[in-house]
Amino acid sequence: MSVRVVVRTFSELCLTVGTVIVLFVVYVLFWTGVKADTAMDDQIAQLRGQWARGSAAGPGEPGSPGTARRKPAAYRDGRPFAVMYIPRLGFTWNKPVLEGTRTKTLTKGLGHYARTARLGERGNFAVAGHRRTYGDPFKDFPRLRPGDRVVLTDGTTWFTYRIDTRPYRTLPGDTAVVAPVPRRSGYTREGRYLTLTTCEPEWGHSHRLIVWAHLDETQPVEAGKPEALRR
Amino acid sequence: MYGFIWRHLPGNAWIKALLSIVLALAAVYVLFQYVFPWAEPLLPFNDVTVDNQ
Repeated sequence: MSVRVVVRTFSELCLTVGTVIVLFVVYVLFWTGVKADTAMDDQIAQLRGQWARGSAAGPGEPGSPGTARRKPAAYRDGRPFAVMYIPRLGFTWNKPVLEGTRTKTLTKGLGHYARTARLGERGNFAVAGHRRTYGDPFKDFPRLRPGDRVVLTDGTTWFTYRIDTRPYRTLPGDTAVVAPVPRRSGYTREGRYLTLTTCEPEWGHSHRLIVWAHLDETQPVEAGKPEALRR
Repeated sequence: MYGFIWRHLPGNAWIKALLSIVLALAAVYVLFQYVFPWAEPLLPFNDVTVDNQ
């Protein structure tokens, strides 16, 4: 085997590895976003379909509030159950919330920490989302400020939470931030809280960013969109 | 390596070129469909929870 063949093969290998690395970067930065956008739209469409069928089964007669709302079903792992809107992150920003925080689940939307409270109930409703890759849902997380509203709907009710803290930086093992009365949140007694978590720094994983919110108001979907989502 | 593949593809230069493109696209497809989805969770961008699921 001549030196020429060895050198040529080696340089061809280097070129190949380089190309694969470039393709991987394209995949992480671009393709995961394309996939996630499709997946999230799909999850939201699924939810809307479910809600439409649900209301078709028992139409919400306007004159009879509280007509035997079915007891809410348990959230099913990996399945969507709500849509979140955060006007601060963009007027059209809306993402599905799925049950569980598995890696696979978080590629299709935001993930609800399975052991935390249900949406709108007493305790802490905690949600995690990607800061970067997979559609960058929480890219602008550091821009959240006290007073910003986080609106969620489960198809029957609009829940408007109001953020109380600036993004709080903590370590990855700090599970007390999703406790019913989160440590460092400033809350002193039990209530209906919301916690959002994402990674910090943007492309790293050494820390987490947290914001806390409390439930400000609720209204049935029949009453129309909450004020935070109206233009 | 690529010279070896080129020499072993059948047909004239045009067919070889066409086959090379098909092979390259197949390689990209396998990477995007199977290899990268496996490799990506090994990067830190997935760590967004505080209980390290």
